Formats: sequence, C-alpha cells, structure tokens
Amino acid sequence: MGKLEPPNQGRLVAVSPDDGSAIDLKNPLLAAILSWLVPGLGQIYQGRTFKGVLVMATLVTTFLAGMWLGGGRVVYASWKPGEKRWAFICQAGIGAAAIPAMIQSWQLEGSGRQPLACSSFMAPPLSRGQPVSPAYAEALIHDGSGLDADDFRPSPPWRQFRPFPPPGSLDTRPADQLSLWHKQLGRFFEIGTLYTMLAGMLNILSVYDAWAGPMHPAPDARDEEAS
Amino acid sequence: MMPSMMPSILTLPVAAAIDRVPGLAFGLPLILVAAIVFAVTHHEDREAIRRAALQWVGWLCGILGGVLVAVWLLGWLA
Repeated sequence: MGKLEPPNQGRLVAVSPDDGSAIDLKNPLLAAILSWLVPGLGQIYQGRTFKGVLVMATLVTTFLAGMWLGGGRVVYASWKPGEKRWAFICQAGIGAAAIPAMIQSWQLEGSGRQPLACSSFMAPPLSRGQPVSPAYAEALIHDGSGLDADDFRPSPPWRQFRPFPPPGSLDTRPADQLSLWHKQLGRFFEIGTLYTMLAGMLNILSVYDAWAGPMHPAPDARDEEAS
Repeated sequence: MMPSMMPSILTLPVAAAIDRVPGLAFGLPLILVAAIVFAVTHHEDREAIRRAALQWVGWLCGILGGVLVAVWLLGWLA
C-alpha cells in the first residue's frame, strides 16, 4: 500500500513504489469521487495523467463492450421481491454510467409508472402483472423489443403487463420481460453482465488508488519487510 | 443465438462474427483488463506498469488455466 505521510503544506502525499518519489494526492476525497464518477478522472485531476487515461480507456471500453454484448439490457437496477438485481451492486462501481439505471428504476416504480422519456434504456424488466403507464406500454410495443399489444391489458389508469392467466389456461409466452431478454440474447446476456460487473469492480481499485495512492509497498517498506 | 437486440448498425457483420466465437474467448479480454488495472493501481512508472501487467497476465492465465484443466479432468473422469 502506498504510504500516506503527514500533511505536507496542507496536502496528503503517497510514495511511489517504483522510485520512492512523492505523489501529490491533492484532495484525496475529491479525487476518489471523481474516479468513481468517471474511471481515471481522479488520477487525471491529481496530475497522474498516464494512469488516468489508461484506466479510463480500459474500464470505459470494457463497460461499453458489456453493454453492447448484452444488447443494452444488462445494466439495470431492480429490488422487486423475487427479482433482485444483485449484479447491479458491482456494476454501480463504474459511477456515472450506472446512475441512469437507478433513475429509471425509481421512475418506473414511482407514481408515474414509466421511465424517463418513456425510454426503455437501462429500465428494469417488467414482471408479470406489473402496471405501467399507457405511454410506456405504447413505447415498448413500437420499439422493436419483441412485445406487442397483446402483452398489455387495459387496467385504468394503467396498462398491466402480461397479467396472470386464469387458472387452467395455458400461456406459452415467457412469464416476464427478463425471460424474454434471456431468450433473445442467449449467452450474451450473461457475458454482457460479466463485462459490466468486472468494469465496476475494477473501478473500485481505481477509486482506492485515487484516494490513497498505489497499493504496492513503497521501497523502504519492502526493505523493512525483507529484513 | 444471434443477439437480436444489438444496435442494428452492427448487427449484421459484427454480431454474426461474434456469435461464432467460443464462450471461453470472451474471458481473455477480461484477463487483460484485470491485469492492466491491477498493474496501474500498484505502480506509478510506465515501464513498471507494463512489466506488472505482463506478470499479472501470466498469473491470471496460469491460475485460471489450472482451474480449467482441473474442471476438464473432473469432467473427463466422471
């Protein structure tokens, strides 16, 4: 771990594990927050531009690749009973890029029953019987997501998504929208989820680096351990 | 299965090619990404970061390759 030294003229410094030089961490808390919001931004703020750009390019590319492989569906927040999206805890480590998922979840569960601008971008999947606004139902029917008018039943003032069928009747359609996504995307749903989760988790290391400096022992600490 | 919900501009040529890639290959970029981030968060010097990234690639490939071989052997013996 990069050794934190006493404040030097009001600033915290860490020690480079490579040559023992001091690293000016500037405001470590601000750097950590910036690094969480945009991977690598905290390091760039601290003047560690090469590291910042490398982290940014690596993690943002990984996150976007995961989003693309997962058809734009794999990053969403859902805390409904029986449909908790635990992967989002890891994905949220990427910062600003995951914030729309939280907003969309709050909006869909809120009084309006629709995501922002009725866009399904990063919106959680609908579960059986879930009420949504008529505008969002129309948007889903027309955005090519595989849903049609039969998937929504009028339930004023809302539309109900695939209500439970009467007892004894046979309904062969996927029970909820998540099942439909799995059917459409196949293995790419899990691969996209893995990419976005890993990008978020690795960004936590980057946040720590912005806050406290490199994790490798400084040269003098290594010498002490060796002796 | 073709990832039918991918952006349409990329769907035809790229997605069709990606669809033929074995699942295991999707893990290789993640090993590289993890190695780079591990190296970046442990070093400051460019050359040290490069050397550490290569070492981490070796370690991760070794460990995960060992797990893969163990799983394959278990499957073969079962």
